[in-house]
Amino acid sequence: MLSISRVRKNAQALAVATCTTLMLASTPAWAQDAAAADPNPGALTITGSLDFLNQYMFRGIQQNNTGFATWPAFDLGLAAYSGDGGLKSASINFGTWNSLHSGNTGSDGPSGKLWYESDFYATLGLGFGGGTSFSTTYTAYTSPNSGFTTVKEIMFKFALDDSGKLGKAAVKPYIAIAQEFDTDIATGQADGGANAGTYMEIGFAPGYYGISKASIAFPIKIGMSLSDYYENPLTGEDSTFGFFSIAGIVTAPLGPTTSFGAWNIHGGVEYQALGDTTEFFNGGESNQVIWSIGLGFSY
Amino acid sequence: MQRSRTAVQWLSVCALTVLVSAATASPARAQGSTDPNPGALTLSGGFDFANAYFFRGIFQDDTGVVMWPYGDLGFALHSGDGALKSVSLNIGTWNSLHTGDAGSNGPSGKLWYESDFYAGASFGFGKSTTVGVTYTVYTSPNQMFGTVKELSFKVAVDDTGLLGAAALKPYALLAQELDGQADGGANEGTYLEFGIGPGFSLSKMSVTVPVKVGLSLSDYYEGISGDETFGFLSVAGVVTVPFTSAPTRFGSWNIHGGVEFLMLGDRNEAVFGDSSHVIGSIGIGLSY
Repeated sequence: MLSISRVRKNAQALAVATCTTLMLASTPAWAQDAAAADPNPGALTITGSLDFLNQYMFRGIQQNNTGFATWPAFDLGLAAYSGDGGLKSASINFGTWNSLHSGNTGSDGPSGKLWYESDFYATLGLGFGGGTSFSTTYTAYTSPNSGFTTVKEIMFKFALDDSGKLGKAAVKPYIAIAQEFDTDIATGQADGGANAGTYMEIGFAPGYYGISKASIAFPIKIGMSLSDYYENPLTGEDSTFGFFSIAGIVTAPLGPTTSFGAWNIHGGVEYQALGDTTEFFNGGESNQVIWSIGLGFSY
Repeated sequence: MQRSRTAVQWLSVCALTVLVSAATASPARAQGSTDPNPGALTLSGGFDFANAYFFRGIFQDDTGVVMWPYGDLGFALHSGDGALKSVSLNIGTWNSLHTGDAGSNGPSGKLWYESDFYAGASFGFGKSTTVGVTYTVYTSPNQMFGTVKELSFKVAVDDTGLLGAAALKPYALLAQELDGQADGGANEGTYLEFGIGPGFSLSKMSVTVPVKVGLSLSDYYEGISGDETFGFLSVAGVVTVPFTSAPTRFGSWNIHGGVEFLMLGDRNEAVFGDSSHVIGSIGIGLSY
């Protein structure tokens, strides 16, 4: 699945390049197993993706302004528990998300190195009745080419899947609060500011399916600082409003589920309206358009 | 893992142990013990701890704790009864985290010393012979060495069918550096490794005794007196204990540990300051 603008933690998964898909598609095994129902009935789920973007904005904060970004991601999920009580399910996910830059913060920048960001995360997800879920995620955001200092964060997310009540009109709302920790001045913070920040995001993800086998989603979200998350580098003033984002994402399956899992191609366009601090980081531009295309798989 | 970086295989990460314990203790686990993953993708991985890290006999670090998280995703592309028995594709990553001089306690102040990515294809033929080709990029996130790109070829024979418990499982590995160098020398090197991996199984564990020798065919072990052919000899003992007797819904997990004895060539001895070293390790592994 495409995760434009990095609410990546829960989402993604790994990347295998286009050539891999082509190789798979050309093998006899691919054809032989076209009718395979569920190749992986066990308790582990592997997901992955490889996306290409013209711009990388992390919660509204610009990360590059030349070249393009490539996002390989991989996620391993463990379905630890399922039941009929108050707690319906428990899962553990861990994975990695990466951003490779060809532009000014990557291979064309001072470091001369492509690998701008590598994140590691672990999530404990709990599912309850009525489609509600609560998850806790620890993430370490690191920069192999020293483009920024390591940011450590704990995030809590409450989500509601209202598909059961609203069907195709479901909006799937969520709210997430993230706290940076282990920081110092200009160290360990997404904004490079003076104090550890507290971030809040509210979003919706309405979608439609069955459009000639493709699905389309329209994620909408707003990112805000509850405390010191969007500190202005010049004034030090914290800006509450970080960004507003609306996107359209089309996902088309690459054939049926086979013994290699379910593969898809996806692409989309995202529009971001920025707050004062994020506008400053964006070179004075108050908005940004991001396009992306990628491959994904789930197994 | 490719990159026979050590004959020894290693042990467990506390966090993963907790995670696995929690997972295997859940009701879901008891529900099934048949193959949880009959599809064409295979996941393997692990997290090991070691007291030192030598890459093909070249000293990297022996201070603090060395941790090796790794993961591999395999695609079984073909299997058949013809001359070509199987074709598989593997991609993966191998990492080395250091608390000592090469990591968080060193000049970089950063833990993540090495991160490798590889992609390889393997072809199985008759008489249990396998030929593989692998492209690997060795990178250092904490900038302690320059990126090395390498292409390697490996031929392996599983002689278990002929020799049974006395099988040696010999292999030969030839690697050519394309850009960057493991020895930090003047020229890209060519590396040759021969090894065997005899082993046996006991009631609830398996033991392997990998032996290997690393050689420079050209400029792989460059020192002050030029290139040295002999890089290292390694003999190890590795014990692997599975968590369960059969795969669970979470796959097959194991705990493993071992000891490796390294005897170094003159060039590697000069860099390390000693002619030999003993490496201990312990780790947790997953196959799904």
